[in-house]
Amino acid sequence: MDRKREIYSVELSGTKDIEKTDKEDGKEKSRGLKNKCLERKKNHQKEELKKELDLDDHKLSKEELEAKYGTNIITGLSSAQAAELLAQHGPNSLTPPKGTPEIIKFLKQMIGGFSILLWIGAILCWIAYGIQYSNDHSSSLDNVYLGCVLALVVILTGVFAYYQEAKSTNIMSSFQKMIPQQALVIRDSEKKTIPADQLVVGDIVEIKGGDRVPADVRLLSTQGCKVDNSSVTGESEPQARSCEFTHESPLETKNIAFFSTTCLEVSAPPVGTATGMVISTGDRTIIGQIASLASGVKDSKTPIAIEIEHFVHIVAGVAVSVGIIFFIIAVSMKYHVLDSIIFLIGIIVANVPEGLLATVTVTLSLTAKRMAKKNCLVKNLEAVETLGSTSIICSDKTGTLTQNRMTVAHLWFDHQIFVADTSENHSNQVFDQSSATWASLSKIITLCNRAEFRPGQESVPIMKKTVVGDASETALLKFSEVMLGNVMDIRKRNRKVAEIPFNSTNKFQLSIHETEDPDDKRFLVVMKGAPERILEKCSTIMVNGQEQPLDRSTAEAFHTAYMELGGIGERVLGFCHLYLPTDEFPETYSFDVDTMNFPTSNFCFVGLLSMIDPPRSTVPDAVTKCRSAGIKVIMVTGDHPITAKAIAKSVGIISANSETVEDIAKRLNLPVEQVNKQDAKAAVVTGMELKDMSPEQLDELLANHSEIVFARTSPQQKLIIVEGCQRQDAVVAVTGDGVNDSPALKKADIGIAMGIAGSDAAKNAADMVLLDDNFASIVTGVEEGRLIFDNLKKTIAYTLTKNIAELCPFLIYIIAGLPLPIGTVTILFIDLGTDIIPSIALAYEKAESDIMNRKPRHKKKDRLVNPPLALYSYLHIGLMQALGAFVTYFTVYAQQGFLPTTILHLRLEWENDNVNDLEDSYGQEWTRYQRKYLEWTGYTAFFVSIMIQQIADLIIRKTRRNSICQQGLFRNKIVWVGIASQIIIALILSYGLGSIQALNFTMLRPQYWFVAVPHAVLIWVYDEVRKLFIRLFPGSWWDKNMYY
Amino acid sequence: MTKTDKKSFNQSLAEWKLFIYNRTTGEFLGRTAKSWGLILLFYLVFYGFLAALFSFTMWAMLQTLNDEVPKYRDQIPSPGLMVFPKPVSALDFSFSLSDSESYQGYIDDLKKFLKPYGLEEQKNLTDCTSGTFFEQKGPEYTACQFPLALLEACSGVDDPTFGYQEGKPCILVKMNRIIGLKPQGEPRIECISKSESTAFLSTYPSNGTIDLKYFPYYGKKLHGSYLQPLVAVQVSFGSDGDVKEVMVECKIDGSPNLKTQDDRDKFLGRVAFKITMHA
Repeated sequence: MDRKREIYSVELSGTKDIEKTDKEDGKEKSRGLKNKCLERKKNHQKEELKKELDLDDHKLSKEELEAKYGTNIITGLSSAQAAELLAQHGPNSLTPPKGTPEIIKFLKQMIGGFSILLWIGAILCWIAYGIQYSNDHSSSLDNVYLGCVLALVVILTGVFAYYQEAKSTNIMSSFQKMIPQQALVIRDSEKKTIPADQLVVGDIVEIKGGDRVPADVRLLSTQGCKVDNSSVTGESEPQARSCEFTHESPLETKNIAFFSTTCLEVSAPPVGTATGMVISTGDRTIIGQIASLASGVKDSKTPIAIEIEHFVHIVAGVAVSVGIIFFIIAVSMKYHVLDSIIFLIGIIVANVPEGLLATVTVTLSLTAKRMAKKNCLVKNLEAVETLGSTSIICSDKTGTLTQNRMTVAHLWFDHQIFVADTSENHSNQVFDQSSATWASLSKIITLCNRAEFRPGQESVPIMKKTVVGDASETALLKFSEVMLGNVMDIRKRNRKVAEIPFNSTNKFQLSIHETEDPDDKRFLVVMKGAPERILEKCSTIMVNGQEQPLDRSTAEAFHTAYMELGGIGERVLGFCHLYLPTDEFPETYSFDVDTMNFPTSNFCFVGLLSMIDPPRSTVPDAVTKCRSAGIKVIMVTGDHPITAKAIAKSVGIISANSETVEDIAKRLNLPVEQVNKQDAKAAVVTGMELKDMSPEQLDELLANHSEIVFARTSPQQKLIIVEGCQRQDAVVAVTGDGVNDSPALKKADIGIAMGIAGSDAAKNAADMVLLDDNFASIVTGVEEGRLIFDNLKKTIAYTLTKNIAELCPFLIYIIAGLPLPIGTVTILFIDLGTDIIPSIALAYEKAESDIMNRKPRHKKKDRLVNPPLALYSYLHIGLMQALGAFVTYFTVYAQQGFLPTTILHLRLEWENDNVNDLEDSYGQEWTRYQRKYLEWTGYTAFFVSIMIQQIADLIIRKTRRNSICQQGLFRNKIVWVGIASQIIIALILSYGLGSIQALNFTMLRPQYWFVAVPHAVLIWVYDEVRKLFIRLFPGSWWDKNMYY
Repeated sequence: MTKTDKKSFNQSLAEWKLFIYNRTTGEFLGRTAKSWGLILLFYLVFYGFLAALFSFTMWAMLQTLNDEVPKYRDQIPSPGLMVFPKPVSALDFSFSLSDSESYQGYIDDLKKFLKPYGLEEQKNLTDCTSGTFFEQKGPEYTACQFPLALLEACSGVDDPTFGYQEGKPCILVKMNRIIGLKPQGEPRIECISKSESTAFLSTYPSNGTIDLKYFPYYGKKLHGSYLQPLVAVQVSFGSDGDVKEVMVECKIDGSPNLKTQDDRDKFLGRVAFKITMHA
């Protein structure tokens, strides 16, 4: 045996490239870990982190292993040794990927978005006060207060956003801790059950069928052990495990079982369990190393984060440019620089929607909650919207599209194919069961089967019962239990006297039973196996309960049925039986399975039965929905192309009338090369083909075919596919469950991990977890995501509108010298007071039309905030609001004695503290404080007017295209809660807190509340007209310029 | 990825150029001439409509107002006190005896302020009965005379420098006009010197009385010739030191409905000022 040391080097480059160099002989092996070396690799040399895995434990004998790890196979480690090793190597668990430190997250909230603008505002306030103070020590503290208020606003919204984020992250972490794993270990010569994370290298562990392997284990004694390695290597077939060293590679050799894989079965007692020695734990396991690769894939920004950034840039750009323009205007109008700075602060505060980012966070978390109810658990809040903009879904087959269990799909007997019900509960089996052949066939199915229900599940529905046995046998057991009732009872009545289990050389399984008829002393031999092998052993065939000789035509009928069932990707089994004559095989006959002292030919062929992992019943509908929503669904599976294609066809990923290049070739009887590739809508690509493709070819494939199935792919090839899709400017959602999927999950715009089948590593890498592993849940997620995008548009439009009404006063104040119509603090009361609940209420708005009937938004063209939205909010509704508010303002001043003509250019005298006898239009004289109080009344009036018109704004924002009457004014109750909150907050501010001087509110005369109402009505009417024209003239100039 | 995403300077320049004027589509700043025309026309019409609407609402609002009396007078229930002349900054009179330029401004201001109080100007005014309100029913409203002689030494008749030249400056104290205000009791303005100086204050008319006949005021339009009652304060310093300084506080006394104490409004019914006189 070659003792050459084998070295695996797992290289990991900083951002995206994953490469595994196999230094052994370059032979094609271990599909799972093999991967792509992208040309950019060299650019990342510096970031490369090199780890070397040096594993040769599989080549050592038991004694060498004992010596190496200082343990004893019979007695195990001593507790002291174990404790020491545990302290040395740490617990046996995967280190979760390093998240951003909390403090960084917090600081990000503090300086992200508009915060930086507000900080600038606050600092300018303090600077202004500093200058004032150095000139005049008695100057008022107003600017200091304003600065503090601004700082407080930033800190509060920051803390709030941080809290929201943290809350949604907590949901996730609690979810992860649900099931602590246990391991059965031998220590101090005793069997103990300990938490799996307490395992150390050298521990002797026992593994039963159904257990998760608790660490990387070198098997010492086992029989008939099978493991599911799909999460490591992507092989979906169960892999046999034994104690022998079979391969140089630790990934291929049969005597190592990997951490977190599932042990499917171990031969029945007396052995019952597999015993093994722990050879590596935690992050040093193979899986740990793969998982750490995922952390090298950088998180890209979510689409909504990009949109919000874009929006922040627009608003900040407007704020800063308007601020600077008016700073220059103010300075050139000979205003004091200090005053100009204060104007600048006012303009910034007026322009920045302080409450909006917090609102967006709340809106997203509301949707996240709603989605969690529909089994989509969102880890990253922003991912809520990402699903909505998804244009390609790369979905797994097993478990996501299918039920992840073999199920009997078809039967063939009496020269006829019968369809069995494959829905989740098998409720209505409608095929004809009157034939005597069926009676024989069902007997074989029931008897020639070693699978058993685990005891103690009497109350569990049949389809949900846990079974000990492999997938096919489980399917047959459940099928016969549904068809015939109590299988165990039937088996008891037909006592088994001998059996030959299935093995890959025989390709059949056989058992011999006594019959349940006490008068019939014959033995019944039942056999199932690969159809062609079964047919070879038969000389007769049962038709309608009668044995007939097996002639050529019957054999052809058999082949046609076999090919037909196999062609649709189903696993086909043949069944036959033979009654042994009593004279040769009396009741006392002793059967010996080793010498086979009984006939194994001239059986009577009874029927065929085919099985498939059927699609979930909700999936076809969901795929259709995706298709009409313009989302391309790509299947990526490790399964056979035929099975994959069959499932793809049955769920509609490949639609009924579309063909692959191969189909066309077959239909036209042409060689594949001569077929025009453009004609084929669908494509089935295997991993081998994919491996030979250049990125350009892949791009071409992805662009030219709308229906694609990738079969026989390794999970790592998913990464290539995802990158290919992303090159098409698509927003890609990827589903995955294995550890090996985690790089692709990270790379995807939205990674979706399976909650039931998913490994922790996959869940860590994903942005979203599907609690029910169901593809249909993704579709509801898409729907929610699209809705939230639409509603965020509405929220932003609503919030931006009043910014003009808040900004205009400052501009007019600077240019026309009116007493200030609205104060900075008052603006904050709108932005963070009256407007908050209404803008959240828009998140509850129902969709205007079927959002699942339009194309996904284009990442770069369909922006959250587009020019029509900004223009319509700022220059149409915003301006109308400003006018309405100014009417109220002028009314208040005029009715108190200051006519509009008088207050024009009155600012300098108005604000002069030494002028205490300022004459109004009627000859009365006002002290400074009396004017100030009037100014506050003006603020309150302006505030109330904006609030009243924001009610109209809120109502019109319910829809973007439809009339409010179509949408229903009262359907969204939360909007009315929002309106009520606006009014109540305004009432409290004016009448409740009107006496608190610092807030600058006064008790407003009731009639001033209604001055802006006509303007509010006008806003509503104007918007209805806008929507009417949009509906009447779709695609027109009006539509292009007015629809946001 | 970053490499391909970053556009070269030339590329972005070309993009900008294309945005400013796209030869193939004839788009200027992203719109064709027709589109620009339509959008400008739209905004012209839309804003024209808004402007008309705003003007109309303002006009309608102004129609509801009364020319003579403001609709509400609740925000000035009680008058403020103010002094005259008004120093440049704060209420701080500062001048130098030896430099006539330093107080010439005050004198000019006072002269200008007292011009409507001249004999010639008061010719047509009514000589009303002292001690009662001079209530009128209209339609013609007339004002009561306020003879300058009441201000005695500060009237500017005998001493055209209002005492500044002699080092005995005069400051006029007046009560803000409020339409319809009727002080109760016998309002007078009382001034006291706050600092511990030897300054002596004399008020004219004696006792600082404000006669009730000057109330109520009927507003600028009806009561155009109205003369505000004045009280003059004359400060005379003792003979010590080069710099003479005094804080004077005046407030309304004797009228319960005129407020003189308000924490926020330092000028409601009271006024404080400082006089600094250099040698």
